[in-house]
Amino acid sequence: MLKLLRRSVQARAVATTVALSGVLITALGGFLSFSIGNGLFEARLNQILAESESAVIDVQNTFAASSVNDEVALQTLLNSVVPKLEATGVADSRRVALLRTPGQAGIQLLQSPISSGLDTQLIGQNFRSEVRNSAGRVLYQSIQLSFVEDGITRVSPGIVVGSPVEIPLAGKYELYLVFDLSSEQQTLDFVQQTLLIGGLALIFIIGGVSYVVTSWLVRPVKIAAEVSEEIADGALDVRLLEKGEDVIAVLARSFNKMADSLQRQITKLASVSKMQQRFVSDVSHELRTPLTTIKLAGDLLFEARDTLDPTLRRSAELLHGQIVRFEVLLNDLLEISRYDAGAVRAELEIHDLNQVVGMAIASIDPLAKNRGSSIEVTAPNDEILAEFDSRRIERLLRNLLANAIEHGEGKPIRVEVGVNDHAVAVSVSDSGIGMTKAQLDRVFDRFWRADPARKRTSGGTGLGLAISLEDTMLHGGMLDVWARPEAGASFRLTLPKVQGTEILESPLSLPSDDDEGAKA
Amino acid sequence: MNPKILVIDDDNALREMVGIVLSSAGFTPEYCPDGDQALAKFKAFEPDLVLLDVMLPGKDGIAVCREIRNIAGTPIIMLTAKTETTDIVLGLEAGADDYIVKPFEPSVLTARIKARLRPISTLEEAVNIGPLTLDVVGHQVLKNGNQISLTPLEFNLLLTLAQKPKQVFTREMLLEKVWGYHYKADTRLVNVHVQRLRSKIEEDPDNPKIVTTVRGIGYRAG
Repeated sequence: MLKLLRRSVQARAVATTVALSGVLITALGGFLSFSIGNGLFEARLNQILAESESAVIDVQNTFAASSVNDEVALQTLLNSVVPKLEATGVADSRRVALLRTPGQAGIQLLQSPISSGLDTQLIGQNFRSEVRNSAGRVLYQSIQLSFVEDGITRVSPGIVVGSPVEIPLAGKYELYLVFDLSSEQQTLDFVQQTLLIGGLALIFIIGGVSYVVTSWLVRPVKIAAEVSEEIADGALDVRLLEKGEDVIAVLARSFNKMADSLQRQITKLASVSKMQQRFVSDVSHELRTPLTTIKLAGDLLFEARDTLDPTLRRSAELLHGQIVRFEVLLNDLLEISRYDAGAVRAELEIHDLNQVVGMAIASIDPLAKNRGSSIEVTAPNDEILAEFDSRRIERLLRNLLANAIEHGEGKPIRVEVGVNDHAVAVSVSDSGIGMTKAQLDRVFDRFWRADPARKRTSGGTGLGLAISLEDTMLHGGMLDVWARPEAGASFRLTLPKVQGTEILESPLSLPSDDDEGAKA
Repeated sequence: MNPKILVIDDDNALREMVGIVLSSAGFTPEYCPDGDQALAKFKAFEPDLVLLDVMLPGKDGIAVCREIRNIAGTPIIMLTAKTETTDIVLGLEAGADDYIVKPFEPSVLTARIKARLRPISTLEEAVNIGPLTLDVVGHQVLKNGNQISLTPLEFNLLLTLAQKPKQVFTREMLLEKVWGYHYKADTRLVNVHVQRLRSKIEEDPDNPKIVTTVRGIGYRAG
């Protein structure tokens, strides 16, 4: 239920409407029932008081006008008073008691006439003393009447009205009239019941109406949400229906305008991306053809360098070297452009990582020998099988090795191969000049060099690590680096055994994860 | 007599430079600057081998390759600036025997040309495989008495497989024996040419009986 409220605007709106109207209807119903009850009571009371007053005057006059002087006649007269005043209708029951005021001199000679079924306990002593001191006025008090009907004790509201009466010869008496208000109570009950049923029905109707209204309001928003979802999923030409002039039509129009502009931008970007790929392809062809001529010419000169005089010979050698470098640079640029254009697809197959590491080391060995670096390999004896593009991974490892040799200052280079349940890893570590934290942060940036003032000895392009990182990402792997100034650097490549699975932990650990190290 | 090489390339400097390299390696070059004249030049010159640039003005290299293949089995080496998979496969499917990616070194160019011109060396005069008879001396393949026309490369590929029936050749072995590569090369060369060969000799190329694939390893004949 809470979840529904959280997720659905409509449910929230309906619930709020129902709750608020519930509170208001309850308050209104309470007020109505209270004032109706009050009105009924007041009307009845006024009637009762009027009746009572006339009854009292009647009784008083009866006694005053009588000229009885013996007890028997007085008792008879007294007894006639009560039935005269009584009424026993269901709707309008009235019972009477004529009670002698206590504490008078002389004994009570006469029997107090009391209506049958009237419990004089209902007339409280406090009320009686108030009546005695009322100086002839008619007083009233609300009481609870209880009577037994069909074996069930029922309680109904009532009013007792009292007034002192002076009876010749007999002394002070009090006349009490007890009125039953159960018919008023019944009316009030009925009114309250009607109000309750009406209120509940009203709340229910309001809930229904608000559901209909909100669903009518929410529907366009729902449709807009669905259309947005479709657009997000790539259906760029889906639009909302624009109908009418209201705020919903404005929403639809703005939404469609936004979708149009989005579609234009995306189409433009797509064409730019296509142009970019086209450009890469064109550059590839246009640069490669002249480079081929240059390379062929340079190579012929280089082959014939022994027949040239020393100046020309050195020139031929420099030309040859730089053509090679230019070619590598061009290849790296094209490779990174291909990545930027998203045009790279890995040729995935199951390979033995040990074998690929071996091939990379074999191809870099001449450079290592040249720089006096030995390469020490620690690897498991078994095949380390994983799914990867061997050409790219070999190139990546070659690049890491070339970096280690270049910055390793002739110290031994350590290569470690590791494997666990879900991943394989290779780390390449040197003990050379290392890097600072600031340098580490930029190590994968394009054309960035650890030390611009350093001579470029091995002719790297400055794109090697950027491409290595792209190659790693292509495989869903990780390329981590640790380095410390004057302590060397360590690169660790981790690849998932099966493409598309997540690497939980690299099989190899980097030298130390203290604050001098950094991850990429 | 020096082998004749037809160089079809639109870039004047490169054409001339390739010519210089070829001449100094003992070949006789002839040039053609665009695709439209290529077939006429080919017929007039009757080269022993064609160097063909993929991107040409007019007719492109792929179309020229297909035209030449229609009339002759002369070895064709594509010169390509593109390393994208589709371009290379398209060229090979059009009938090119081999390809060289620009920029290349003179030694690579001459080595690849020599590998393609090297005569098949075998002591046997005829080899039988399935319904086929390979006439090594006459460079002919007979199937049930009917001659099938294969390019020299296809003939060489089939002969290599047929000389050792049942033996499985890996793609790398075939690259070395047939194409003359002594280092790791593009195994797509083998795949594409096996497909071309099958389309000529098999009853149902999709369900080959003569040259069969050994999954994960390579190919074998018989």
